[in-house]
This record gives sequence, structure tokens and C-alpha cells, in this order.
Amino acid sequence: MKRFVFGTVASFGFAAVIWEAFARSGFFSSALSPSLVVIVPALVQMVVSGTIFVHIAYTLYRILWGLGLAALAGVPVGILMGRFKAVERFVLPLVSVLSPIPSLAWVPVFILWFGLGNAASVALVFYAATFPIILNTWTGVRSINRIWIRAAETMGAGGGELFWKVVLPGSLPFVIAGLRQAFARSWIAVVGGEMIAATSWGLGWVIFDSKEFLRTDVMLGTLVVIGILGLGFERLVFQVVERRTVGRWGMVRTAGA
Amino acid sequence: MFRTPTTLYLRGAALALGQLFLPFVVVAILWEGFAIFGPFPPRLFPRIETIVSAFVRLVVTGILPLHALETLLRLTAGFLLGSLVGVTMGMLMGRYRWAEDLLVPVVSVGNAIPGLAYAPLFVLWFGLGNLPAVLLVAFSATFPVVVNAWTGVKAVKSIWIRAAETMGATDGQLFRKVVLPGALPYVLTGLRLGLARAWRVLIAVEMLTSVSIGLGWLIFGAREFLNTDVMLAGIAVIGLVGLGLEKLVFERVEKFTVVRWGMLER
Repeated sequence: MKRFVFGTVASFGFAAVIWEAFARSGFFSSALSPSLVVIVPALVQMVVSGTIFVHIAYTLYRILWGLGLAALAGVPVGILMGRFKAVERFVLPLVSVLSPIPSLAWVPVFILWFGLGNAASVALVFYAATFPIILNTWTGVRSINRIWIRAAETMGAGGGELFWKVVLPGSLPFVIAGLRQAFARSWIAVVGGEMIAATSWGLGWVIFDSKEFLRTDVMLGTLVVIGILGLGFERLVFQVVERRTVGRWGMVRTAGA
Repeated sequence: MFRTPTTLYLRGAALALGQLFLPFVVVAILWEGFAIFGPFPPRLFPRIETIVSAFVRLVVTGILPLHALETLLRLTAGFLLGSLVGVTMGMLMGRYRWAEDLLVPVVSVGNAIPGLAYAPLFVLWFGLGNLPAVLLVAFSATFPVVVNAWTGVKAVKSIWIRAAETMGATDGQLFRKVVLPGALPYVLTGLRLGLARAWRVLIAVEMLTSVSIGLGWLIFGAREFLNTDVMLAGIAVIGLVGLGLEKLVFERVEKFTVVRWGMLER
């Protein structure tokens, strides 16, 4: 633990020194690569005035809607694919063709279809998040030990019970892994979407907008916020969910458990 | 008709082919129906034949191959640069404690920032055009490569290293003959993830840095003229190239290296 804290402090100290040297070297003018003395106050000012929280709220709103809809659509499709061969044969070719298309390639189309604003960003997050969820859920259902299903059937479990008590919990480690992957992809999609399908709020938008006014300090401050939020989601939300469910049931080993 | 093995085989193949195409046929019918009866005007939601003819027109006139080639060149340049930096950093982090302590936290935060978020900054620094696009691709590809190369070096069994040392391997030999092949499955995974990420970022960044030729630019530019058919044809090509990168490049490389050495089951 001590080594971890020490290492983290040293690491960010090291990064700060490198940046400061780069900023003051005169390689770029100071308006383009501002020193930390400028970035930190810009960030503090955004926090004090509360604007950064509005941006965060907008970005999270879009990502949670998109991710939620993707989970609502992706998990059932994945489970049906795992349970019924016909569904698998129908859906799998579509998924393998659509999933390698980067979600951001759809931005221009989505702008025309949904207009600028929230709807286009949410649709983008939905597109980015759906496929990892479908593929992981499908893998999860297929990985369920057949003996469990047969045992439950022998003991007289019906379709509903089988689903809620065996299939869903059994595939949950994969479903959570899928959500995690989906989040990582959505995080990229939402920032990119906000830049191009410009609205008036959101972390991606504020970075893009700062370019117009050459506010590199605001840009870099926002970048730090994006990094901390992304890492925070990964470490706090997903690892905690994992530990509380599949980790506790002894299905996977979680970090720190 | 005689039931020779050949006819049976042909029937099986036809059935499999039919099953493969059925979903696409259904989707195409739904698309057509929506295009004709849906709320969008045909300019925004073109029919399949419009998209296909746009595709054919762009391929025949050489526009689409040109854009695709330019994008692939950019991808190659950025990806090579990124993987070179990434593998070097990852190996250092795996071999030396100080490098690990110093770099891991920075890399984890950096990894959580979408590469695209740097795009405006890179445009201010390096201007519009090729340079910021290539550098941004390199930058985004680096992170997955670093993380996986680092994990790979850590995963090399210490008994192998000790055995090699006992038998008198020098530092250089140890690295080339033990550490590098031992870490290779992870490094390849990292390169694969890096390439996927580079590809995704590149398409988006071409929209932002106004390169003059490129698939991302093609679909973004088409928006100005409401050429939805061109956009959708471009998206189809992007999907095909993405699929090709995955299937042709990396599955091959894996088969010829780690699978052949028996380190990974396929």
C-alpha cells in the first residue's frame, strides 16, 4: 500500500515535471502549451463556478441513456442467441458485420437522422455499447455448465425459474465483462460524438469549443477530468459491482477480494 | 438425382450459404420498407439500390480505393510508431521496478482518456492535415500496447529466466531468447487491441483534422451535400477494412508465431 501511494505520487510528479519542462521549453508558444501554473487555476475556476459539473452531468446523462438502452437490448438478444440456435444463426452474421464499424463513422449519418444534440450522441453510445454486450452475454450463456441446467430441469425447474436462477446468474460474469467493455467504448463514442454533433454542453464539447478561443488550459483541465472519471468508473463502479455479485458468489476472483 | 456425396455436400453448402445470407436479406427488406414508407425523405434514407450504385460508381471511378489507401497508409504509419513506443515502454516497465513505479499510474489515467479527446489539442499543436492525424493514431495505439507488453513481461515464468541465467545467458540473449518470445502472446494481444483502437480513432480524427483524402473525411464531407448514399457506401467500406484487418492480419500473425510454438491454443 505504501509503495502504491509513493509510486502514484512519484509518477504524477514525474509527469508534471516533464510537462512543465516541455511547456517552458518554448517548443510551442505558451498559449499552446500552458504551464501547470495556468492549467490548475483554470480547472479550479471551472470547479468553483460549477460549469464542469454541468458538463459532466450532460456527458453522464448521454452515456447512461445509451448504455442503459444497449443493455436492455443487448442482454436479451445475447441470452436468446445462447439458448436458441436459430436466433444465433440469424443474429451472429449481422453482429460480426456491424461490430467492426467504428461507432464514430456513423456520426455524419446520425446527425442527419437525429439532428444535432442529445439524440445523436445517445444513438452513438447505443451503437458503440450494444455489440460488446451482445457478444459477451452470448459467450456467457454458452459457458454455463450444461450439468447445472440439466440438474435444475431434473429438479423440476420451469422456464422462468431456469432463467432467473441458473442462466442469468451463470452468465453474469460475462455480462459484467461485456458492460465494462461497452463502457470503455461508449466513453470514446460520447466524447467524439459531443465534439462533432456539437451541442452546448458536455466534456467533449467543451474541449472542442475551447479550441476556438485557444483556451488550451481549459482543454487540458478537462482532459484530466475525463481521465479521472473514466478510471473512476472502471475502478469504482465495475469492480465494486463485480465484487458484490460474481465475486461474492465465488465465480471469479476479483482484485482485492 | 443421385445422392452422391458430392450432391449431398453441395446441398449442405447451399443450405449453409442460405443461412448466412438470410439475415442480410431480411434486414435489406426491412431497410427498403423503411426507406419507401418511413418518415425520412429518400435523400436522408436512401434505398439499397441507390447505396449500391453509389458504391459501384465510387469504386469504378477509383475514388473509394484512393480514400481507402490513404487511410490505410495513415493507419500503418501511426500504428507502427505507436507500437514501437508502446512495446519499448512496456518492456522497460516489465523489466525494471523503477520504470514500473514511475509509469503505471500515468499510463492507467492516460489509458482512460479517449485518444480523440486530444484531437483539438493536436490540431492546435501540429496544424491541420496528416501530421496530427498520424500522431494521434500513434498516441492512442500506444496505451493498449504498453499495458499488454508490461503484463506479458511480468508473465514470463521466473524459472525460465533463472534457468537461462544458470546456463550462462547474457542480458541480450536473455532478452531475445526468453523474455521476448515469452511475452509475445500478450504483446500480440496488445498490438491487436492497439490496431483496433487506432482504426477507430483514425476514422473520427479524419473528420476533425480536415485531411484532404481519407475514408473518415469522405463520409463527413458527404454530409455537406446530403449524399447519404455516399456516406453509407463509405461506412460499408470502413466495416470491410476493419473486418479484414482483424481476420487477415492478426489471425495470420498469431498462427505463424505463438500458435505454432504451442503457446496458445487455436
